[in-house]
Amino acid sequence: MTAQAMAVRNVKSEAQVELCSVRVGKTMFGVPIGHILEIVGSARPQPVPLAPEYVGGLVHYRGDVLTTVSLRQLLGLPPCEGKQDILVLESEGGCFGLLVDSVGEVLTVSPADFEPNPSILDRRHSALLAGAYKLKDHLLVMLDPERLDPMRLAQEMAER
Amino acid sequence: MDELTREFLIESQEGLDRMERCLTDLETRPQDAALLGEIFRSVHTIKGTTGFLGFKRLERLAHRGENLLGLLRDGKAVASRGVITGLLHLLDGLRAILKFIEADGTEGTGDDQALIEEIEALQAPAGGAEKVSVALASESGPAASAALKPAPASAKPSSASPVPAAQSSAPQPEPAAEQLAAAAPDAGRARTQPGASTAESTLRVDVALLNRMMNLVGELVLTRNQVLQATAADPKMTLLSRRLDMVTADLRESVMKARMQPVSNIFSKMPRMVRDLSQSLGRRVHLEMEGQETELDKSLLEAIKDPLTHALRNALDHGIESPEDRKAVGKNPEGLLKLRAVQEGSHVVIEVSDDGAGIAVEKVREKAIERGLITSDRAALLGERELLQLIFLPGFSTAAKVTNVSGRGVGMDVVRTNVEKIGGKVELDSRAGKGTTVRMRIPLTLAIIPALIVSSLNQSFALPQGALSELVHIPPEKAGTAIEWIESAPLYRLRGRLLPLVFLSRLLDPTRTCHLAPDRDNFIAVLDADGRRFGLVVDGLADPEEIVVKPLSAVLKDIGLYSGATMLGSADLALILDPGSIALKANIIMNSEEEAAAQVEETDDAAKAEFLLVEVTGRRAAVPLADVLRIEQLPLSRIEYVGYRPVLNFGGHLLPVEDTGGILAQAAEAQGVDASPEGAQIIVVVCRDGNRHVGIVVSHVLDVAAGSDLFEAGTGVQTSGVTMLKNRVTGVVDLGSVAPLAQGEPAHEEWTQPAEVMG
Repeated sequence: MTAQAMAVRNVKSEAQVELCSVRVGKTMFGVPIGHILEIVGSARPQPVPLAPEYVGGLVHYRGDVLTTVSLRQLLGLPPCEGKQDILVLESEGGCFGLLVDSVGEVLTVSPADFEPNPSILDRRHSALLAGAYKLKDHLLVMLDPERLDPMRLAQEMAER
Repeated sequence: MDELTREFLIESQEGLDRMERCLTDLETRPQDAALLGEIFRSVHTIKGTTGFLGFKRLERLAHRGENLLGLLRDGKAVASRGVITGLLHLLDGLRAILKFIEADGTEGTGDDQALIEEIEALQAPAGGAEKVSVALASESGPAASAALKPAPASAKPSSASPVPAAQSSAPQPEPAAEQLAAAAPDAGRARTQPGASTAESTLRVDVALLNRMMNLVGELVLTRNQVLQATAADPKMTLLSRRLDMVTADLRESVMKARMQPVSNIFSKMPRMVRDLSQSLGRRVHLEMEGQETELDKSLLEAIKDPLTHALRNALDHGIESPEDRKAVGKNPEGLLKLRAVQEGSHVVIEVSDDGAGIAVEKVREKAIERGLITSDRAALLGERELLQLIFLPGFSTAAKVTNVSGRGVGMDVVRTNVEKIGGKVELDSRAGKGTTVRMRIPLTLAIIPALIVSSLNQSFALPQGALSELVHIPPEKAGTAIEWIESAPLYRLRGRLLPLVFLSRLLDPTRTCHLAPDRDNFIAVLDADGRRFGLVVDGLADPEEIVVKPLSAVLKDIGLYSGATMLGSADLALILDPGSIALKANIIMNSEEEAAAQVEETDDAAKAEFLLVEVTGRRAAVPLADVLRIEQLPLSRIEYVGYRPVLNFGGHLLPVEDTGGILAQAAEAQGVDASPEGAQIIVVVCRDGNRHVGIVVSHVLDVAAGSDLFEAGTGVQTSGVTMLKNRVTGVVDLGSVAPLAQGEPAHEEWTQPAEVMG
């Protein structure tokens, strides 16, 4: 995938990369902090009946209504009962929220520790994930905000 | 583009708009010096500034125009029809070049030679003496106000040259011009332009900034709603929150006002269109415009431009007859076309009326039957007004054949769709031989709309009030029998007519079944969306709220049920339901005979005031529907007394109850001492009277009907307090006469005692 190759090159060209770590289920994910506009803690999005499954609902954000994407739903995990945290992300198509179980600290990682998606990863996941950083005791799986944009997800669903 | 050029573009466009208006006026008053002076100034200003900015093509063209206008202004040439046409061409030419400048900063590469020759040909009859004055006028170019000075009758060089510089730099209109300006309001407004007074008190504001302000005010309205709900129980906060309420309302009004523009912005485009069109159609038309100062939100103004143009075209094309035909029926050969705008409450009404042939109702009836829009039985029953409404049906107007015969109707459905899209309504009135009136009712603003909050699947949804025609309450005990079925289609019998039902819960969650819950109240919201009438079954109702519409992301818009989202006073988000899409999704169509008739009735009634018809101990009475908040059926034991006054307690809010018919006493009597556990039931109509709410005890609620005014015999004075409902004179309940509850009396102890009459 060329987009992925580009992403890899981008990451490697910088000396140090700052990532915001988020947790969904048992996995730790990383989101490049440059794409994050704001973090909204413990929100309960308003569900939208008949919306595509990956839509986590609506939240009020600075006078506008923000559509959120549920990472749990995308990864095929059971829905979360309690409140979740929201990363407000900026992509080409505008702003959207990413629903995660919890937001952790900002980590600084070295491009040398990056590995692209393994070939054994199934198609569904490899379309969502953008490789991983090898940390001391676990992996930090990279997320690419552009690929999580609801418009793009809608297109992919339609093509499938 | 630099600031100077941008300024120049805005000014020139305004100048040309003004010129266009004046030119069409000039046709009726070719000698009007104020008009000529105004037109001259517009072109002159453009010429002066272009020379400065270096737009050669524009300058050349404006210069020729100025020459011709100079002749006209000085009375050396007459503003004949041909001259006006030439000047209109010049106007178009100047506009085209301005467009180029706006697009890429260059003047474009068109050839103006033909236009220049046309203009020059028009000034040909002018003699040598005039040439001198023309030269003088153009030489004085940059000193703008020298040209402002309308030259006296003779244009000898001596009269123009000795004007001292000091005088010419001060924009002093000549006394003669002043007099004329007073006669022509347009010129009066334009004259203030060079003056300092308006320049100091107004400023240009970016529309984007106004939009942002409107958004912020929307936020404030939401926050206010939340504050009001949160502080309702706290007496200390009541004063503060009431103040916040007032300030917010004022602020909202001011910001809305800032977005308002006079309708003259679009009206002013019409004389030109009417002129061109009537010439090409061979009609003679006099256009009258009224209420140009009426203001409307900028975005709405844009939105009504097309429907308005359409209605005007229709009036010219099909309404007003040719001069010969008019003469033949004894009318003035010149047709009268009236364009009128007036504000009525929270709506602006824009009316296009002509004195043409009107719509031949019988032809409409024939065609409607022929096209299968309506059966002949039904058609025979329809009155004139109802038949006219058929013109709005899409099936009616798509075929050109129908139009030729009916005399009207090209795209009337398009007019209606466009106006309804912005929450407005279109009404049509026509009398054969006398003329036709198209009336558009446009809301003042779009961003904040009143909505009813309904619930389904434990979630709140907003339903725009514009589409809501009434609410039906189905108590739990009737849940099993209220709905009738034709196979899988649920129907409700509303005043004898079957209303198709859509269950909101089932629509949102296809796993649900369609049934009314037997353990709680059910509600049917009767909706009318683009002529599609249906009942939406919801689980619960909350109070109406003013909601601020927020756009949804494309992914959610694609679902096709929601038109937006909003924040409620309870701080919850609510999706705004789109009645039109719901109707489409549920396969509710409007073309069926039943629907068309129902819809006809609706629009017909909307023109008059609607009343809730009730019965109070055998007497019929009417309550203005606009004042009715809800109808409550409740056990008699809910009525409590303050002294002798019956009141109702709704969660801490006291409602004075008016019982003119003595129904409460009767009910208590009928109930006797040993009452059944539920007790007797009474019906209370909860109404709004100014800011307070009052309850009216009634025996039965009969119907909703449109009332018509009654006039006193002899005097012809419109009577108050009575109305004509269903062909019977009916008294209107005077809500103002319900005595207010005493303020501040330490009555809390008394309120707790249950109804004394029960013992």
